[in-house]
Amino acid sequence: MKIVAVTACPTGIAHTYMAAEQLEKTAKKLGHAIKVETQGAMGIENELTQADVDAADVAVIAADIALERPERFDRIRKVEVAVQLAIRSPEAVFGKL
Amino acid sequence: MAFAYRFTCPLASGVHARPASALEHVARRFTADVSLTNDRTGQIANAKSVLGIVGLDIRYGDQCRIVTVGRDAAWAVESLRVFLEQSFPRADDAPPPSARRPGDVRLPPVLKQANAVVTPGTPVVHGIGIGRAFSMGGFAVPDTIPLTGVSDLEAEVHRVEEAFGHLLSRYDARLDAWDDGVESDVLRAHRSVARDPEFGQAIVHALRTHGCTAAGAIAEAEAQFSGMLAATGSALLRERALDIRDVCRALLREVYGTALPEDDIRLSADAVCLAETLTPGQFLALDRQWLKGLALAHAGTTSHTVILARSAGIPTVVGVDGLDAAALDGQDVVVDADLGVVVTGLTAEARRYYDMERHRLEGRRVRVHRFVERPAATEDGRRIEVAANVGSAVEVAQAVAGGAEGIGLFRTEMLFLARKDPPGEDEQFEQYRRAVVDAGGRPVIVRTLDIGGDKPLPYLDLPKEDNPFLGFRAVRIYPEFEALFRVQIRALLRASAFGRLQVMIPMISRLDEVTWVKEVIADERARLAEAGVAFNAEMPLGAMVEVPSAAFLIGPLSDALDFFSIGTNDLLQYFLAADRANPRLAALANPLEPSFLRLLDRIVSEIHAHGKWVGLCGEMGGQVRHLPVLVGLGLDEISLASPEIAATKARLAGLSATGCRALVERALQMSTATDVARLLEERDHWRPLPLIDPHLVSVDADCRTKEEAIKTAADLLYAAGRTERPRDVEEAVSEREATYSTGFGHGFAIPHCKTDAVSANSMAVVKLRAGVNWGSLDDEPVRVVILLAIRQADQATTHMRLLASLARRVMHGEFRRQIEQEQDPAALCRLLDEPSESSTPFLEETS
Repeated sequence: MKIVAVTACPTGIAHTYMAAEQLEKTAKKLGHAIKVETQGAMGIENELTQADVDAADVAVIAADIALERPERFDRIRKVEVAVQLAIRSPEAVFGKL
Repeated sequence: MAFAYRFTCPLASGVHARPASALEHVARRFTADVSLTNDRTGQIANAKSVLGIVGLDIRYGDQCRIVTVGRDAAWAVESLRVFLEQSFPRADDAPPPSARRPGDVRLPPVLKQANAVVTPGTPVVHGIGIGRAFSMGGFAVPDTIPLTGVSDLEAEVHRVEEAFGHLLSRYDARLDAWDDGVESDVLRAHRSVARDPEFGQAIVHALRTHGCTAAGAIAEAEAQFSGMLAATGSALLRERALDIRDVCRALLREVYGTALPEDDIRLSADAVCLAETLTPGQFLALDRQWLKGLALAHAGTTSHTVILARSAGIPTVVGVDGLDAAALDGQDVVVDADLGVVVTGLTAEARRYYDMERHRLEGRRVRVHRFVERPAATEDGRRIEVAANVGSAVEVAQAVAGGAEGIGLFRTEMLFLARKDPPGEDEQFEQYRRAVVDAGGRPVIVRTLDIGGDKPLPYLDLPKEDNPFLGFRAVRIYPEFEALFRVQIRALLRASAFGRLQVMIPMISRLDEVTWVKEVIADERARLAEAGVAFNAEMPLGAMVEVPSAAFLIGPLSDALDFFSIGTNDLLQYFLAADRANPRLAALANPLEPSFLRLLDRIVSEIHAHGKWVGLCGEMGGQVRHLPVLVGLGLDEISLASPEIAATKARLAGLSATGCRALVERALQMSTATDVARLLEERDHWRPLPLIDPHLVSVDADCRTKEEAIKTAADLLYAAGRTERPRDVEEAVSEREATYSTGFGHGFAIPHCKTDAVSANSMAVVKLRAGVNWGSLDDEPVRVVILLAIRQADQATTHMRLLASLARRVMHGEFRRQIEQEQDPAALCRLLDEPSESSTPFLEETS
């Protein structure tokens, strides 16, 4: 599967990146292709283009705050989860896809 | 013939002790009877009695009447009219009341969980003291002494009158002797109570009409006046009731001598005093070696007891209500004047909390102590001497031990104050010699006598002035009191043979003053040389730059002098025309005003252009947030109160001189002090600090709870000088923790926050001896705590990248194992402070 994902936590210092790492690590293990955008204290990084989103099968939104530029995900199936879930049991996130 | 004058009370806080004693002072100059009536209450009092006046409870806006009767009544009423119209409205200099209410206390999480009894109060002397509680009672006559039943009334009256005489001469004798400044103020207040006619009359009245013994009469007077003062609306007056109580105790002792049991308490271990009230006399009788704290129910911020406690550095909380002193006697109690609470019923957890507090303060002390021996310099190597301000020779050794690189200001006024005659040449010489010898080769800048209308000396007979700060003082009085000045110069020249003594003249505003002083010095030098007395012929001579005119005369002054020191206190009040003693103008006299900074910049650069040395010895030198400005101005030295010296050197080591200069250049372009203050909030002028260093690592911490672990980490930041407000860091972290636990599993937690309470982005690592419950995602106890504290302002830095990379790395078991196994703090720092190999992964296979 081709997956795009966004992670965002309230302070943007730790959990955003922890969740991103977990999603990437687990996707690799499960044989999925993934690109994870982080919306943290440094702003948007590894930004998803509209083309990235359009080419993907599903978008994972692991966010505890309102997303920046949410309109990119208007036309794609979205799976929304808490950041904590992505950190604690990333496999469970992929189970929802 | 009677004369009357009506007036309306102009004083916002009413007629409390200070204006009352000013009024009494004027009234006493006349033989006429002077009475004062408060028309609101109809009460009349003798205006020659402070107690009588304050008893009238005159409030703002009350209509009052002065009536004078007697030989000089006309003259008296005229003088009082002038006084009441001109000086009286300004006699009200009560300090603003403390803004803090006892209910405001926010307890740190660890203390909150400790289940100890926390009683709030108002902190008046900071610090934390722990000791065994003991209580002190109020005024009481021992049971052994009868209160009524006198066989020979006249003999009893005589006894009391004699006791008054003895007491007054005792006060006089103690005031004549060399005494501490604060203590003499207290003694003077007590003397004025003992001299007060209403007070004496009340005692005699009780003796003659109530059948009282001396003890009974004193007790009655005590109750009467304490009650009267307590009934007035003024907090200041209630505090003066303690002085009356002290005088009554002293009077009892005079009358009954050894028949009175000893009432002082002997301390032999760390102790905390709990009392409803504590008189200044009771305080002084306590052994301050063991006294670790004071918790008082009824003492205000300005009572004499509190002033004494402050000068002795005893942590004190007042306004503490509801402590049962008798029940607590002998138990351990904490006076936490940092939080403003008294903690009793100490649980094991509360004791652990205060052990942690002691550890925190000790950690900071150790860090600062490393700078005692080091020469003060910025991180980019610019030297700036850090010297001490002292008021007497005995303070020099202590200042040097605290890291002072010299004495930047030795105020000599203390030598001259509170005595009947000026100090002689030998006495002064001995003081100056001791100062330079104790300074051990470091420079000692002695300022010649800076005295005038605001600090009257009995032997100088200086006129009372309306505006003493703009008046006849300092160098301006020298020609009139030339002999006095010559004695000081001779003593200084003689002492100059024993060390690096430098002489500084206060309040120079014109070149003539310097020329005159130099002539006197040359003259005295010649006389000493003739007499074969040793002195340093090259003894440097300098001037205070504190009158704005001097700033525009640097060229000629530099030609005549060797060095300068900027006195920012006076310079600021003269420059902005804002009396620094006036609380209403406190916001006006701001040294960050761009106009003032431009003045300072001009002074320093002109003095340097003339190749001379310039220091700064005003209060501005002791204020942490101004330090970057002082460095940026290019001063050669700053001089401040000695307890702050090592800490100032530590802060200097974190500043970049280039950055500070850039800061000042920008500040000079600003328009308001607010803009400058905002500029100071930026951190560009501080040495960039790594996120973590080995001092921020604790590898074997004994913490029982999540809260203790967070406090331990925040305290590491405090000890390392990265925050002055560790509690704010704790609070910000706990607030973040409340949204959901940062224990992400595997025994790790990353508590974090954004807060400007830290001076630099920081990471602290606490490895716990035993795991604690963190409410983690996997419910496992946490053994490794990595606290991240990030400044709000600087988030788009390399630090953020490092943190993001760290957050990713802790998701990997191998990295966590390395952290768990590594016990060496330096190695742990290296492990945590490096970016990971691949921090920005990419989508595979997708275009």
